[in-house]
Amino acid sequence: MLIANKKHWKFLFIFIFPAFAVYTLFMLLPILNSMRYSLFSGDGLALNEFVGLDNYIKLFTEERYYSKFWNAFGNNIQFFIIVTLIQNILGFFMAVLLTRTFKGSRFMRKISFLPTTLSVLVVGFIFKLILQPYPGVFDSVLKAIGLGKFILPWLGDPNSALVIVAVAVSWQFFGESVMFYASGIDGIDDSIIEAAKIDGATIWHEIFYIILPSVLPIVSIVTILIFIGDFTQFDIIYAMTSTKGDPGYSTDIFGSLFYRTTFSSAERGGWGTGMGATVATMMFIVVAIGVAGFLAFFNRRKEALN
Amino acid sequence: MKKIVLSFSLLLISLLAIGCSKGTDSNVTGNSGVSGDRVKIVVTSWRTEDIDRMDRINAEFTKKYPNIEIDFQPVKDTEYDAQLKQSLAAGVGADVIFLRSYDSGYQVYKTKSLMNLSEMLPTLKTFPSSALAAWATPEGVSYGIPSAGVVHGVYYRKSIFKKYNLDIPKTWDDFISVAETLQKNGETVFAQGTKDNWMLYEVMYAGLGANFYGGEVARQKLLRKEARMTDPNFVIALEKMKELQKYFPKGFQAVDYVTMQQMFGTGAAAMFMGGSWEIGIFEDLGGLDDVGYFAPPVAKAGDKLQYCFHVDAGIAANVNTQYPNEVKIYMEWLASPEYAQLYMNELPGFFSYTPGSYTLNNELAKQMQSYISDSVPTVRTVWEGLSAQDPSGNALVGEAIQLMYADTLTIPEAAEYIDDGLSWFYK
Repeated sequence: MLIANKKHWKFLFIFIFPAFAVYTLFMLLPILNSMRYSLFSGDGLALNEFVGLDNYIKLFTEERYYSKFWNAFGNNIQFFIIVTLIQNILGFFMAVLLTRTFKGSRFMRKISFLPTTLSVLVVGFIFKLILQPYPGVFDSVLKAIGLGKFILPWLGDPNSALVIVAVAVSWQFFGESVMFYASGIDGIDDSIIEAAKIDGATIWHEIFYIILPSVLPIVSIVTILIFIGDFTQFDIIYAMTSTKGDPGYSTDIFGSLFYRTTFSSAERGGWGTGMGATVATMMFIVVAIGVAGFLAFFNRRKEALN
Repeated sequence: MKKIVLSFSLLLISLLAIGCSKGTDSNVTGNSGVSGDRVKIVVTSWRTEDIDRMDRINAEFTKKYPNIEIDFQPVKDTEYDAQLKQSLAAGVGADVIFLRSYDSGYQVYKTKSLMNLSEMLPTLKTFPSSALAAWATPEGVSYGIPSAGVVHGVYYRKSIFKKYNLDIPKTWDDFISVAETLQKNGETVFAQGTKDNWMLYEVMYAGLGANFYGGEVARQKLLRKEARMTDPNFVIALEKMKELQKYFPKGFQAVDYVTMQQMFGTGAAAMFMGGSWEIGIFEDLGGLDDVGYFAPPVAKAGDKLQYCFHVDAGIAANVNTQYPNEVKIYMEWLASPEYAQLYMNELPGFFSYTPGSYTLNNELAKQMQSYISDSVPTVRTVWEGLSAQDPSGNALVGEAIQLMYADTLTIPEAAEYIDDGLSWFYK
């Protein structure tokens, strides 16, 4: 670790200050201000009535508040699990596949990243249009290949809506995890893999004893990125199932809960700015705890491997 | 280092210069043309689809008062309340504001951002009191001109009805038998979906259910906490909604509001339970001549129609406006029969509360209006009072019916769901 001495501090200051200033102005202060708002109550946006921790007490003791909060929390965990499964596990195997050299592998690598460059809203609206029963683009494809009896009211069924939304997000960011993993796999020294092959290692041996341990830091980065992305996800819900998380709050996650409760009027599900800020603060705490937990978990795994 | 500072300050100065020159530019154009001070009043609403129509209406005003220009700047419906709240708090809100009725508008008034209109517009006294109440404090101070109401009913395709010799149904039994005939013949009966649940409450339950739960009398009882949503009359209305399910199109759970409009508007379905504000949409989709309308069918022959004539839009004035005198002149015009007549013809399906006699030029709007004289007017079931807090009656009824159609809740469970959610009201 580099220790700052008198000679360095000027450089350190020049390097750190601009980023820190921007970060403070646009991230730190708004977050702190939002936390301050969670201690206030009142009409409109400018709050004046100090209520201490009342908003937090209300959030966790009044059924109308905590039922929505825990519902969103539960949905968010499901959402995160589905996205992690697809992006992490399938993404990893896809990366293993794409790092083999075969005809077109370079092209495939590039094209798999394409959806990531789209806007989440665009992806959401396109998925919604494709899945709509009228005119029913996806449904007619299913019918054409003989799977007509599996047609569901995709986004209208409380049992399927959240899964569909999670799949849409995963589809979009699949390329991102593939890219992360592929670059990690590229970094593995060829001689190690060759040596293993000479010793008679199969592809599974290769994956589990060489590739996976080498890309473990990437697994942790990808998982944490997905975690943060999913617990602050809003756009896809907005585009596909509205900020109410239709049907029947089955796709309501933290992002939509926060938006609705803070900015909507009461008859559309608003709780007032103070309660909204409380939800935002709780989101922040959940994300912070989650990230800390994942970091600890992956660090321990890494130590165990070493 | 000195160089950097120098170039930065140069950049700043040039930016400032651009800013200043722009400022003077707009001043020049602002004063050009008419002599005297020409002012611009900004009006906001949640109906972005009305820009052209509102501009035509406001042009008539500017003809009369050439030094006042009206700039109609609507915001997307779903973002309107949030945007209004923020702009008023930041002191940059529009001068004249379209306001939703009852608690939604009252919450804006409570932020002390709206003018007292009882003093400003004495003519308001002549407006129907039930409409005034939707934009007034409990003490009777008006903060919004009751501007427009909407009705709910059933649109139908004349050509499809003609094909099977169907008459307009008057009672619920007629209605069901019409649906039955259409279904037997392989037609898509209703262009209805349950993805957007506000439709299920606002149009279906409050519109078609009112004849079963007892309309305005029952609603007043709810408001006085003498009735609950689990009472038999309110549950019967839910049962009637459920009766319609078998005539819904396949995959109706995933059909959203826009798809419904497209289905009916393009003639792919025979009927559509909707609101009068949709006339313009069907007009834009073409073939309005083929579209007919009938009021919600009554429970049995001889019953009086409980007609949901909902208080939709009021108009308020921003207390912090820069041009209070001009706003007053404009507000007076908005409360005049002249505006009402222009408005109803530009926006058929919106009915003005301004006293006066009017001629409507849209056939559908005329039909909708024709039912009013022989009906008991009411507004949406749980809009007033019962939607002041979250979970609002508004959201609850929509959710309950949505879950009832998804077979997640039985009919009595749906009623329980609403009643449980409203526990804050009965506290």
